[in-house]
Amino acid sequence: MNKIDKTPAPVLADSAADWQRNYDKMIGQDKTIKNRSGIEVKPLYWPQEDGDGSYVAKLGFPGADPMTRGIYPTMHRGRTWSQRQLIGLGRPEDFNERIKGILKSGATALSIIPCNSVYRGLDCDEVEPEILGTCGTILNTVEDMDISLKDIPIGEISIGLNDPNPFTMLAQMLIVAENRGISWDKITGTSNQSDYISHFVANHMFYRLSLPGARRVQMDTIAYLAEHVPNWNALSIVGQHMQQAGATPAQAMGLTLSTAIQYANDCIERGMDPEVFFERFTFFFDISISFFEEVAKFRAGRRIWNTLVTERFGVSNPRAKRFKFHAQTSGLDLTRQQPLNNIARVTAQAMAGIFGGLQSMHTDGYDEVLSTPSEDSAKIAISTQNILKHEAHLCDVVDPLGGSYYVEELTDAMEAEILDVIAQVDAQGGMYKAVESGFVQEMIGASALDYQDKVDNGEQIIVGVNAYQEEEDASARPVLKRPSPEHMQDQVDRFKAVKAARDPRALSKALDALRDAAKSKDQNVFAAELDAVRAGATLGEIVNVLRDELGFGMPLVVA
Amino acid sequence: MNQVPNIPARVLVTKIGLDGHDRGSRIIAAYFRDAGMEVIYTNPWQKIDAVVTLALEEDVDVIGISSLATDHLLVPKLMKALVEAELAHIRVVVGGIIPDEDEVDLLAAGVAKVFHPGAAREEIVEAVEKFAVDAANDRPQD
Amino acid sequence: MSDTHEKSELAVRLLAGQRPALARAISIIEGQSEAIRRLLKAIQPHLGRALVVGFTGPPGAGKSTLVNAFIAEMRKRGKTVAVAAVDPSSPITGGAVLGDRIRMAEHTMDNGVFIRSLASRGHLGGLSASAARVADLMDAAGYDVVVLETVGAGQSEVEMAEMADVKIVVSAPGLGDDVQAIKAGILEIADILVVNKDDLPLASRTRRQLESMLALRVPGDWKVPVLSTNAVDKTGLPELADAIERKAALRQAKGARDMQSSRTRRLLAQTAAKTVEDHILRDQSAAAEAIISALQQSDIDLRDATAKILNLLHESLSDE
Repeated sequence: MNKIDKTPAPVLADSAADWQRNYDKMIGQDKTIKNRSGIEVKPLYWPQEDGDGSYVAKLGFPGADPMTRGIYPTMHRGRTWSQRQLIGLGRPEDFNERIKGILKSGATALSIIPCNSVYRGLDCDEVEPEILGTCGTILNTVEDMDISLKDIPIGEISIGLNDPNPFTMLAQMLIVAENRGISWDKITGTSNQSDYISHFVANHMFYRLSLPGARRVQMDTIAYLAEHVPNWNALSIVGQHMQQAGATPAQAMGLTLSTAIQYANDCIERGMDPEVFFERFTFFFDISISFFEEVAKFRAGRRIWNTLVTERFGVSNPRAKRFKFHAQTSGLDLTRQQPLNNIARVTAQAMAGIFGGLQSMHTDGYDEVLSTPSEDSAKIAISTQNILKHEAHLCDVVDPLGGSYYVEELTDAMEAEILDVIAQVDAQGGMYKAVESGFVQEMIGASALDYQDKVDNGEQIIVGVNAYQEEEDASARPVLKRPSPEHMQDQVDRFKAVKAARDPRALSKALDALRDAAKSKDQNVFAAELDAVRAGATLGEIVNVLRDELGFGMPLVVA
Repeated sequence: MNQVPNIPARVLVTKIGLDGHDRGSRIIAAYFRDAGMEVIYTNPWQKIDAVVTLALEEDVDVIGISSLATDHLLVPKLMKALVEAELAHIRVVVGGIIPDEDEVDLLAAGVAKVFHPGAAREEIVEAVEKFAVDAANDRPQD
Repeated sequence: MSDTHEKSELAVRLLAGQRPALARAISIIEGQSEAIRRLLKAIQPHLGRALVVGFTGPPGAGKSTLVNAFIAEMRKRGKTVAVAAVDPSSPITGGAVLGDRIRMAEHTMDNGVFIRSLASRGHLGGLSASAARVADLMDAAGYDVVVLETVGAGQSEVEMAEMADVKIVVSAPGLGDDVQAIKAGILEIADILVVNKDDLPLASRTRRQLESMLALRVPGDWKVPVLSTNAVDKTGLPELADAIERKAALRQAKGARDMQSSRTRRLLAQTAAKTVEDHILRDQSAAAEAIISALQQSDIDLRDATAKILNLLHESLSDE
């Protein structure tokens, strides 16, 4: 380029050239894609001119500041999102069988859902048998985890663990890897429910320790993993719970980013380096069926995060600014009435997630609202993703909605709303204080009631529910399959046998050490937890010790 | 009519079992309040004997159980406990994700009504208002 | 129920401390039936034993959490506790969501604790007209300590003054206008001021503000302490309980009967005022219209109009 040339917007050309170079480097073997009419489909589209510089300033190119259009130059054209379906039911063997089937159907990552009893920190022998294993897998011991992951190559597949603070499932999995001789630096995946603040506010089921107790364990775990399991995402900051509890999409994004700010500050206070730890921050969002709003929400969130990490935290490492997220289609938009319609709903939601630029997705089964999803509906959910990818060609172009007058203006508007929520939380002294006082719960509760009003008065139509209703035959609804009580009793029996076979002295010593670690100010609780798991301690035993020392977790429910 | 009914009607809105989602129960509590009822609202994860204690101390007419997952499978135990505590006049309604087969069992165990997602506000409120009157009628002599 | 029975069955069971009887008595106490009058008469000789403690203060101060910690402290001291937690009813629908006991969940299964959620039921002051009656029922049922918890709004703090032996006003730092949130009226009746959430940064400033406002109060024979608590960690509770017991001892010296009589007087005044108000608002008679019209035209002044309308009311009440 001629340096004396004064033609406008050299920046656009430079930025485009940068992007092209990065794209070529990352894509490897790019194929020429032509659509059915023979027209070549390019990887990216952008304006011819950028007179006022607003394109480069506000949108930019994928993988470059301000990241609006995507965190990588190639996005889904280079590598599609992880198809990470949530699986969990019954006994560990049942999970193992189901996960093998799902992997065969095309899922590329796994995500384990434990039984609600596990979420509550209860061992299987502490719970009424009727409600055991009906919504997730029982995972109380190392043996359970080992059976669940039989023949699954832990070091080669990305694993999503849905265990909340204090992360016993993660401890169990690490010990299984250790026993199998797999080095911990090969292990990749995410602690999906590590965001204790979101559990305190919404979806309380995941909440076990007191708010300050959870904070302690979370920070210890992040520090431990940073050192010993460097490729594991210790932190997944969850917007899904708050949106499911009723937060608007803008509020959910704002509250999630506020939570991330809180955790970042906590990490900095702990002496950790933001240039490093931000690389392991990931997010988890709901995708509602408000299609364009969701697309704009994700694009705005990605841009805000980039600015926030750069300006508020002064970080320059480009990998630390990436807004990596997993998203799940929202079960709340699904209906019990005419359940097959839900396939269409999930499709629309999934599309919004794809256009929003997610890195990992779970699509719901159409029978989500009826009971635990069946195997067939889980397969349809995966196929939906594959159809969008291969048949609708949604991955051929990076950020295909970029440049749309609507989407860009909406992205800006969502950004303003999101920033306003962040400011409100800042005014409360940060997210931790804002949830302690009930401020966040009230905000979410008000939005939930607001939305319900709209549904009740017909302003928001829901097909089959408040419009287009039909007489339905109850017998046409899928029959639910639950594990039989005898089946779960076998699990309880085995559990008791495993407990009985432990070395009581070693166990007692390890639990005492865990207690001491919790009591101390500077010992790492997660490290002590690993030792306890090695000595055979169960989920319930570990959670009880921590509850004793760090406080029982009862979330602040606002009436 | 045996007894002076509670005016306004008093309803306990609560969750038993393991689940912790409370968006539904919060909305239902608002419905009842807007219909002029007094709602006693609790944390989730109540044990059966705690629900009985609450119902007794608060002298409620109706208990509303919000259930996702399979927590509704514990409701028959609650029905028995209420009878044992001489609180059989209290009507119990269950709302949430309840498979059809389970609804049959709940009604057989004495649950007054099961509400599914998408149930209309008027339907829920009217039913509970009527149940409150029924409960007052069946309340044992003071 | 036969008139020949001196004590109704319900009263007998309540005085024996049976929880279902107490629960039921609380429900019916707002009524006016003969059975209720007999119930109240039956419990009269058994009143005055319980220590009635009132907790009030602005929303967000953590009252319910503090009451929860207070219950724990009392239980440690071997006392039984009954709680009446009052929340406002919607003035439009008459309904209410009562969630105070959420914070007291740890005591649900303790047989030495009885918790009842009450709605203010249109009572403008924020305390239901029968709150005093409820405290009496709990007293008669044998509880050592009766706790009344309300939001400091309207006239409720003044009503609290007649009902509670010891009045605690709770505030917390950073509640918007901080101490402005506590109206001067509350400070007048407070026996103990509590700054809750003492771990918050502005706690010591809030304390100082309260102390300086107290300095303006007319001195009596009780020096109002300003105490710090953290209701979540349960710190500061022994000091609070000690202060309450010290104040209660002072009350004994003055006599519980005075308190009761002024309580009854206020209950009568409130009920009478409500009756008058209802009548005037509904009176469509020509005579009432004439008075209203005359007042509107300023043909008579407000004092005259009041006298005239009360006369009218007196006549119509006599006729009834």
